[in-house]
Amino acid sequence: MSRDFGLRERAVLHFNVADFAVAVERISDSSLHRRPLIIAPLQAARAVVYDMSEEAYGDGVRKGMPLKQATRICRRAALLAPRVDLYRKAMQAFFKELQGYSPLIECGQADGHFFVDVTGTHRLYGPAPDVGWRVRRHVRTRLGINPIWTLGTSKLVSKVASRLVKPVGEYIVTAGEEALFLAPLPIQLLPGLSGQELQKLQEFRLTTIGALAGLNRQQLMVPFGSRCDYLHAASRGVDDSRVCRPAADAKSIDYEHSFADDTNDQGQLEGVVATLVGRAAFTLRAQRQVARRVGIWLRYSDGGFVVRQASCRTGTSGDVLLRQLAFTALQRAWIRRTRIRSCRLVCDRLQPRSPQLPLFPEEESRQLRQEKVSGAMDVLRRRFGHGVIGVGRQMPAKIPSGMH
Amino acid sequence: MESGNNQPCPAKVELSFAPGTTGLVRRCPVYVGTCGYSYTEWVDSGFYPEGTRSTEMLGLYGRCFSVVELNYTWYQMARAEPLARMVDKAPAHLLFAAKLTRTMTHERDDNWRQQLQLYRQGIAPLKKRLVAILIQLPPDFDRSLAHRSYLAALLDGLHDLPVAVEFRHRSWAVDPVFAELQRRRVTLVAVDEPSLPGLFPSLDVVTNPGLFYVRFHGRNKEGWQSGNMQKKFNYDYAEEELRAWCEQYLLPMAGRADRGILLFNNHVRAQAPRNGRTLATILAGLPRGGC
Repeated sequence: MSRDFGLRERAVLHFNVADFAVAVERISDSSLHRRPLIIAPLQAARAVVYDMSEEAYGDGVRKGMPLKQATRICRRAALLAPRVDLYRKAMQAFFKELQGYSPLIECGQADGHFFVDVTGTHRLYGPAPDVGWRVRRHVRTRLGINPIWTLGTSKLVSKVASRLVKPVGEYIVTAGEEALFLAPLPIQLLPGLSGQELQKLQEFRLTTIGALAGLNRQQLMVPFGSRCDYLHAASRGVDDSRVCRPAADAKSIDYEHSFADDTNDQGQLEGVVATLVGRAAFTLRAQRQVARRVGIWLRYSDGGFVVRQASCRTGTSGDVLLRQLAFTALQRAWIRRTRIRSCRLVCDRLQPRSPQLPLFPEEESRQLRQEKVSGAMDVLRRRFGHGVIGVGRQMPAKIPSGMH
Repeated sequence: MESGNNQPCPAKVELSFAPGTTGLVRRCPVYVGTCGYSYTEWVDSGFYPEGTRSTEMLGLYGRCFSVVELNYTWYQMARAEPLARMVDKAPAHLLFAAKLTRTMTHERDDNWRQQLQLYRQGIAPLKKRLVAILIQLPPDFDRSLAHRSYLAALLDGLHDLPVAVEFRHRSWAVDPVFAELQRRRVTLVAVDEPSLPGLFPSLDVVTNPGLFYVRFHGRNKEGWQSGNMQKKFNYDYAEEELRAWCEQYLLPMAGRADRGILLFNNHVRAQAPRNGRTLATILAGLPRGGC
């Protein structure tokens, strides 16, 4: 390589399947084509729209809208319950198509969004626009999905470009044209702005990205404080954020439980979380790993969901500390009175377990005692199944072993 | 189509032919260039200086060549504003050919007439510097009735613009096709590509006396069928091959046309610009050629 990689112009492709859940449902049932479609949890009393087709969008249906309102607006729409596992499988299939072109792929959670950094791959696969076109062609032929593809020098620029051509199409933003490309666009197209920031920008009559780019850091500092750097850079199309590949350190262990009946019973929820923690801790110990972060995903009966996390510096595979982290995350996530449909526990930021022993004897003996208990339970679980034993609030008998 | 200033026009060679019945010397300016100019690989391969950024490439390209084929308009619909900015920054002598968008060639859709209108608006900034719109048709586009009707309608929609058609399917290499193109004053693209069954052959047919258009794809037989662009267009023409091609095809075509463009598509490892410069040197040294 003749130049330092950091100085090379980047080529970031963004693939975006508009209305991803709808696209996947239409592949599994071709009769849903050319018919308005709304995806929402159907049994819930106050369900909200999870996704909708372009036709339903045209009629005024929006994500997060109460289902009753949506069906009133778009009476001809077919209704389907979300099948998140199916959407995840479709994401994996799309991901496999991309793997042949770059090791740097970043994807969302079952939402049909992918960033692919193809910087420096031209000798193997040709110019970046050709890669974009080929991927789209293959995905369309093999999976039946027609994604938008856009090319820019950063995630930000390619993301904005995809918003311009939605629901189908392509857009190539030439390197060096970023600021000129962004300037005439409405400020709402700039990613990463909060509702409050957008409101403030409207108050200042800064309606285009170019108008925002016309202000310097000092001018932005007054109303936006520490966010001035981001606004200043983003409005000029400057974005150094990397495309994060799903490497070994990005692996996670997750378990999910769906309640037979939606609930907001604290004891029941904490019992489920404790049981999920037990399973995750068992897996971590079996893999000789520790987790430094625990996340709780709560899906409410109306289809909305909240994700919150708690982390520790050292990492753990012990039931006690993991449970503390999980309960902290649960406390942060449980912010609504609406009943909960499912709960997912995600342990990530995994790292190998350190062989180093504690420094002080009393700490060592407590830890050793806990490890002995955990070790004995692990032996029983390996032999008789996970439901045979539990500690504290874990509910081994109530949760079937194949729940995740 | 001459450059608007007094700066020399690189890789432009004016071929002269002996007086015919009129007693006048016939001249045919020939422009040499490549298919596309913005390749990061050309920096690695040394055609562009180390550290060249995308925005600087067209200016540097113009120091060596007189024409360029815009191939990004095949991947995405031409858009007037970025194209206008590009033309403003381009060297004054540089001419442009623009590929028709794939939604009207390889991925034809029912709304192609709307696409054509968008395309016409998109390429408007090229104005008089547009030497031709290239309609590159896919290998499976054979001479069926439906395809003939489609092509006729497409050419009708572009009747007031300079157009060149490149066929990949052999079935189009027949006299009635050449006659119809001649009637419409549409240029048949001459190709140099691997000699494979079913592919459109290399010909010296001139259907439009106003322009002949040549595309050098390379002769990599294995690569052509690999499905990998980097293999398909990986070919380095030997000087002897280019000399032989000039004798066999170029001179007969130049003798029957007022102007010609020669474009290299073997972009891999910057072979296209290297071969283009070699061809320009060969042309300048021809007994009947000279700047």
